[in-house]
Amino acid sequence: MDRLLEFLIFAVVLALAGILLLIGLIEAPPNAAGVAHDTVSAMQAGGDGASRLESIGGLAFAFQSLVLLFAILLCVLSVSPARRSPVFLGWMAVTYAVNILVWQQMYFGHQAFLETGETGWFLGFPAATAWQVYGVWFAGVVLIAVYSAGFRNYVLSEDDELRFEELLREFGDSRD
Amino acid sequence: MEAFRQEIILGAIVLYMALCVLIGLWSMGRTRNPGDFFIAGRSLGPIVVSLAVFASTLSGFGFVGGPGLVYSVGVSSFWMVVIAATAFGLGFFLVAKRIRMVAELRGCMSIPDVIAARYGSELARLLVAVTIVLGVLGYLATQILAMSVVMQAILADTETFADISLLSCVVLSSTVLVFYCVTGGVIASVYTDVLQGIVMMVAGFLILITAMQAFDGGLREASEIVLADDSESMMPFGAAGIVTSLGWFFVFGIGLAGQPHIVTKMMMNKNLADNRSILPLSLLGYIVSALLWISIGLVMRAVVVGGGAEPLAQPDDAASTFLAMFASPLLAGIVFAALFAAIMSTSDAFLNIGTAAIIHDIPRAVRGRPVDNELFWARVITVILAVIAAGFALFSYYRDATLVALLGAFGWSTFAASLFPVLAIGLNWKRATTAGAVAAVTSALAINFVVQLAGVTLPWGISGGLAAFVTSLVLFFAVSFATPPPTLARDIDRMMEI
Repeated sequence: MDRLLEFLIFAVVLALAGILLLIGLIEAPPNAAGVAHDTVSAMQAGGDGASRLESIGGLAFAFQSLVLLFAILLCVLSVSPARRSPVFLGWMAVTYAVNILVWQQMYFGHQAFLETGETGWFLGFPAATAWQVYGVWFAGVVLIAVYSAGFRNYVLSEDDELRFEELLREFGDSRD
Repeated sequence: MEAFRQEIILGAIVLYMALCVLIGLWSMGRTRNPGDFFIAGRSLGPIVVSLAVFASTLSGFGFVGGPGLVYSVGVSSFWMVVIAATAFGLGFFLVAKRIRMVAELRGCMSIPDVIAARYGSELARLLVAVTIVLGVLGYLATQILAMSVVMQAILADTETFADISLLSCVVLSSTVLVFYCVTGGVIASVYTDVLQGIVMMVAGFLILITAMQAFDGGLREASEIVLADDSESMMPFGAAGIVTSLGWFFVFGIGLAGQPHIVTKMMMNKNLADNRSILPLSLLGYIVSALLWISIGLVMRAVVVGGGAEPLAQPDDAASTFLAMFASPLLAGIVFAALFAAIMSTSDAFLNIGTAAIIHDIPRAVRGRPVDNELFWARVITVILAVIAAGFALFSYYRDATLVALLGAFGWSTFAASLFPVLAIGLNWKRATTAGAVAAVTSALAINFVVQLAGVTLPWGISGGLAAFVTSLVLFFAVSFATPPPTLARDIDRMMEI
């Protein structure tokens, strides 16, 4: 599985680089990264959101989906192969699913606003932005919960600690 | 109380700095050898490490530049904040356990030490040490300058210090920082981080409450005003657009595990198993403190576009204007103390890792052993490093900002691009080779430097840091696959099995 995992991570990295290159090759509208605000100096405005998403929206959506996958795959890589149980992989899949859910709600919520000009509100923010402000936090907290709650199962078991103690006894003289 | 506003603010800052000096004095007796000076003898408990990790993460940028960025580009900059949970999670999964293990197994005192142990390469150690020194100078110069400018602005409003020069403010603020770093090394640094972290959390929470009361309709009214003015600024990708926003997510989120001033703290805990509680505690501290970033920026943008205040001369004035408009003198005092805390908690971490790179890592890479009497020289170099950085800061302010801007390019994104593959992935992937590591670090440095020197602007708001990060990842994997599998030292090989 290690070989498969490392090639999968490399493939994701290559795909990220490819998407970034493709985005760079597409002609950018004047407001791609913002324009000067009409009336307030030292402030930027976004302008027409639909026009600047039209040509690269799909690529950007794919980029972020792959970034989230990259993060999850790296977490899997960090766990000792012996501890990558189906339950652990299941939790990683759930974490990715939650992240993707938040991302797609945010992205398509923004698209819906661009089409209709209307938005719902949640705790002080427009719906799409609320997914960003609260949802991205929450999605990350799932990862932290897996780390902390599953610490003894996946990250460092008591057996692992004993193995490390043994390693220290064996190689302790290599310390500076 | 309002009549004594400046005196109250000044009093809060003086009290905070006095506490830092006392912590420095207390730590002096506990710093007996280089291991104590650089990694606190791996003796810290989970609460201290948690506060040190998050306090080092949130620099002065979070209190000044962050709100300014929300004022300037709207919601785009929220991405740097909301990514924190994933960033901390990924950082702990990838780095916390293994870096602590290597540190104990090999007696490592710095990130370049860890790199040398992992790759068995002095070249890799040298490259990483040089990257850290360049980054430290840039970071320190900008932090010292920010601290001095804020101090001058506060003192200038008092009768006694109305004409105080920037040089005096540089000397005043740097002296406190250098004092506790020299006397107590990283022990003083992490215990001041505890104080600084608590001050930042209190400030973040109180500012959120204040911001919610700035408009009768709370944050929703502020959001509605910004949305009505320019809807994109209040939508998830803000004025800066989707590519800039996602680039910030990538560089600030994924890249956290490559920040030397943060991951060094992961070498200092007493027990490996403490990581399970350090992670959520660090995140909690960061979330509470970062509320300030979002709430000040949003309220100030709404106030200005809604006609409630004159446009700011520059975005970085957002925090000070907010405090002048909405905060009581006592709250302003706490926030200014928190600002100094944020700046100093990051600066002391950089002073410490920069000193380690100069007296410990570069000599080891070049001549095979560190300098004699490391503890003495660590204290001397800490002073010299701070003086050079302060000199850069003053030169930048009065003469030419190019040098500091160039060194500033060796900031977060350069560390992310150069150290994340080599350290965070390298500690978990046995197939990573020295050639892959060298390719990743050199490409990251080269791209960041060229983009900065040549003033290259990439389309769609793609940052040089993002381009460098993705390129270094590609090269790290490609070169590692293309070169023969490495033969790891037996202890490192077995450690990576755990």
